[in-house]
Amino acid sequence: MAILVTEKTKVLIQGITGKEGSKVALQMRNYGTKVLAGVTPGKGGQEAHGIPVYNTVKEALENHPGINASFVAVPNFVALGAIKEAIENKIPLINILTEHIPIKDTAIALALAKENNVRIVGPSSIGIISPGIGKVGSIGGDDPRGVFSKGSVGIISKSGGMASEVAWILTKNGIGQSTVVGIGGDVLIGSSFADLMEEFEKDEQTKAVVLFGEIGGTYEEEAADLIKSGKFTKPVAAFVSGLFAETLPSGTKLGHAGAIVYGEKGSYKSKITALEKAGVKLAKTPDEIPNLLK
Amino acid sequence: MQLFEFEGKQLFKNVGINIPQSQLIDGPDQIRIKPPLVLKVQILSGKRADAGGIIKVQSAEGLVQSLKKLFESTINGERVEKILVEEAVEIDKEYYLSFSYSTETRGPVMTFGSGGTGAEQKGAKSYPIDLAHLEGVKAHLRGGIIPEELVDTAIKLWEVFIKYDLELAEINPLVVDKHGQVWALDSKVILDDDADFRREIKFPERNLFGRAPTQREIEARKIDEGDHRGTAGSVYWDLDGDIAVIAAGGGGSIVNMDALLALGGKPANYTEHSGNPPGEKLKKLTKIVLSKPGLKGCWFVGGTANFTDIYETLMGFAEGLREIKPKPTYPIVIRRGGPQDKKAFEALEEIGKKEGFDFHIFGRETPMTSTAKIMVELAYGNISH
Repeated sequence: MAILVTEKTKVLIQGITGKEGSKVALQMRNYGTKVLAGVTPGKGGQEAHGIPVYNTVKEALENHPGINASFVAVPNFVALGAIKEAIENKIPLINILTEHIPIKDTAIALALAKENNVRIVGPSSIGIISPGIGKVGSIGGDDPRGVFSKGSVGIISKSGGMASEVAWILTKNGIGQSTVVGIGGDVLIGSSFADLMEEFEKDEQTKAVVLFGEIGGTYEEEAADLIKSGKFTKPVAAFVSGLFAETLPSGTKLGHAGAIVYGEKGSYKSKITALEKAGVKLAKTPDEIPNLLK
Repeated sequence: MQLFEFEGKQLFKNVGINIPQSQLIDGPDQIRIKPPLVLKVQILSGKRADAGGIIKVQSAEGLVQSLKKLFESTINGERVEKILVEEAVEIDKEYYLSFSYSTETRGPVMTFGSGGTGAEQKGAKSYPIDLAHLEGVKAHLRGGIIPEELVDTAIKLWEVFIKYDLELAEINPLVVDKHGQVWALDSKVILDDDADFRREIKFPERNLFGRAPTQREIEARKIDEGDHRGTAGSVYWDLDGDIAVIAAGGGGSIVNMDALLALGGKPANYTEHSGNPPGEKLKKLTKIVLSKPGLKGCWFVGGTANFTDIYETLMGFAEGLREIKPKPTYPIVIRRGGPQDKKAFEALEEIGKKEGFDFHIFGRETPMTSTAKIMVELAYGNISH
């Protein structure tokens, strides 16, 4: 059945006339995802790849009441407004591609989403793909078919590039995926490893989960706590990156905003220890992951 | 970006947080305010007091000598260029107070506890703040979670935190003197770089941890300026090693650096490119990375890209290579996958033959991190022999 993106998913694209929005619209449709409408303020009445464009989310929903997911690909300085609009209109799933959203804006968006029972995946999310069913976001690019294959392993990754790389390593070894989710590498994110593990726990298609983690923050530790509490019972394999970062002065910025360590908190050691104690199998390189799932 | 104490205090002052009378000096002979004073070196690393960077001076006698000594020192690797001279405050009670973002509550938290060095460990407690109802925050702070006399300062610190888009606004110690007056004796402020576009106050670039940025770091960070098509070089650090690295992806690049270090490879730099940058950006980045003398190898490495055009980026890399003088003779290991990768590899084979580059090209069928071993063996010779 997969999680988040299923046969029933019907997508709205906020920022559909922008470069990313327009490109991803075409990719999603080519992969069989139902893209019903797009929104760009001031461009209502136009079409993008034959998809109708509206000025507001409300208008789009009035014309396409089936919409149940929004893909946000707007510039960072207007992102909060766009996300608020989707939340106010109670779209249950919002996937945010936009990078470099100010942390205050993300925090406000997450607080509003929680209050309105809306799930956010991202910001800085490469997207969500349920192989053979559909995708939301730019995950897999133009042609996900060679890299992703349908199967029973869920992948949750902070890194967009590594979400695909891990899927490819599994596919190469004959292991298919139920759903692959790029949760983003920001400090604050809408869906953590633990949040999505709860979804994977309920999903019959998913028999095991792979986590791709990184130093910084506490999401890996939270995942370990969920397992220890007995709320996640399926096998978990994980890879955590960032030892290199710890050779640099504390606070040095690297690729992802969230991958920043001050003192002990969020360190490689803290994450590895927590996951090991929870019984998670840890890979030393991403290519070891298939063996850990056997 | 982290601010110096005096910059953070300027923000505090702007919203009315009480700070001692002070003077910022860059030479020992400029003192106007009267002892007793506290001399505080302005460096970015913490634990200044333990490292001898904070000195109390009771009288004018010896003041200039103390300042001279501080100005000649290097503390935690940072040269002392500025000193904040403050009137001493008689401390009665000491606290720790900060606002920051927590990955545990996924929102802002106020952290409060008894002050001094190591306050975070000394039982300071964090209180989540509900951003869905901004108007309720002040009432929440008045609601008895902190002593009455500190409420006004806490509300002002919250204002600083929100107004200036901060990731951290910390006062440690926050003190109360014998007359009940509240003082912020230190500041630690980290700006959210992603909000630079809307922050009214600008601060000059600073040296990270006592080292001035290298020419390559400055040049690399310029590549993305005014061009939002993908990123290349906006994160670039010079390191001490001899293997040049051009990595792809914020996550994948770290995975590969981990693998290289684990095998004893010594990276000459860290940098990454992401999204779908034009070839021109890669050309510039390549020229910067490979301008370093004494290189033993070059590793162009990335995973299986979602949408990075592999032909475009690798051709940019090849363009850059062609312009390096003298022509690189060291091994160049390339591992990449993604859109147009086959076309890119065919073109690279041609270029390698024509120009005489020592290319070792691997596609998505070769595990990404396994090419770290290949790189190390080619660069340093097969160690097992």
